[in-house]
Amino acid sequence: MSRNTWRTVLGAATLVCLSSFSQANADNDTAAPINQDACMKCHKRNGTMLGIHANPQLHLSCQNCHGEKGNHPRKPNDLRVFSDEITTDAMTANQACWQCHDAKELGDKAWFHNMHADKLYCWSCHKLHVKDDPALQGASSLQCRQCHAEQPAQEVNRG
Amino acid sequence: MDNVRRQFIKGGTALVAATSLYLLHDAGAKDQTTGQHRYAMLHDENKCIGCNACSEACRATNQVPDGVARLRIERTGPYGEFPDQYYHFSRVSCQQCEQAPCVNVCPTGASYIDPETGIVTVNSWKCVGCQYCIAACPYHIRFINPVTHAADKCDFCRESNLREGKSPACVAACPTKALTFGDIDDPNSAIVAALNQQPVYRAKEDIGTHPKLFRIRAKAGGITL
Repeated sequence: MSRNTWRTVLGAATLVCLSSFSQANADNDTAAPINQDACMKCHKRNGTMLGIHANPQLHLSCQNCHGEKGNHPRKPNDLRVFSDEITTDAMTANQACWQCHDAKELGDKAWFHNMHADKLYCWSCHKLHVKDDPALQGASSLQCRQCHAEQPAQEVNRG
Repeated sequence: MDNVRRQFIKGGTALVAATSLYLLHDAGAKDQTTGQHRYAMLHDENKCIGCNACSEACRATNQVPDGVARLRIERTGPYGEFPDQYYHFSRVSCQQCEQAPCVNVCPTGASYIDPETGIVTVNSWKCVGCQYCIAACPYHIRFINPVTHAADKCDFCRESNLREGKSPACVAACPTKALTFGDIDDPNSAIVAALNQQPVYRAKEDIGTHPKLFRIRAKAGGITL
């Protein structure tokens, strides 16, 4: 094979490599290291982490929050489930988040964390797998309304 | 002679009594037909959750520019030790004084008490921006509106919602119904019923401004659902 042909093949191979790499970059959300976790072999559909915890610099894996695999998928197991249907009291269950997020610091930054710490699960307001956590979007009074409303939200004429 | 005098006195007294009764009756009737009100508000600090839905609605409804506010909720706390903590919330807005210092000091008559509603109001066309009212207000709630350059403050939405027959924006927006608005001259109004039901207080009552923003003092401890 002539030297020129080799050059062409090498060039083509490089192009293919580059293009596949950039594609992976564009599809960053699902390509985050956490989504290459062994768990994803089964949990493709329900578990993809698109939220801020997918940030590769955090070096998080599913087990960091959900706990070690242990018995799973057999039951009973020690996996943590972030659902409102669990019976664990809030103070114990929220420790999963408080291992990184200091509970008192959260209260200093956003006052409403304080009194809800022993009444609500963090995930009662925050949604962690979705791309944009609804609790961090827009007017916070809408979030309060979900529990505190005696009267429904009224359409406010904004101009 | 005596009889004539007696009859005269009797007749005169009857006439005076009849006339005054008639006048009294007439005044009462007149009051109802002209629809005079004395609007007031009650903030139940036990129900308030400090969500600021009221101040957001106020800003949107009355086109209050950013940087100034007609209404805000002042938060104090947290009280207690983590996680057993709670806050107190207090409404900061015009207290709608019946003896309003801001009205007394206004040199142009821009600040006045609307005789029909009892609401302390600012006529922005008459206001020259001298800020006497801002200095005189014992509650520090007045400000110069950066758009109109006139003094501004809460007027119970007199020029927005109230004009359209709706309740003030904050009252409508409150998710926990912590605000009650109504006519304290109307014995059947919700606010009179609420005022009669529980002890209330007003800010700086002792300085004699007779504010019409009533408050229910929050108990220690958080909100229970």
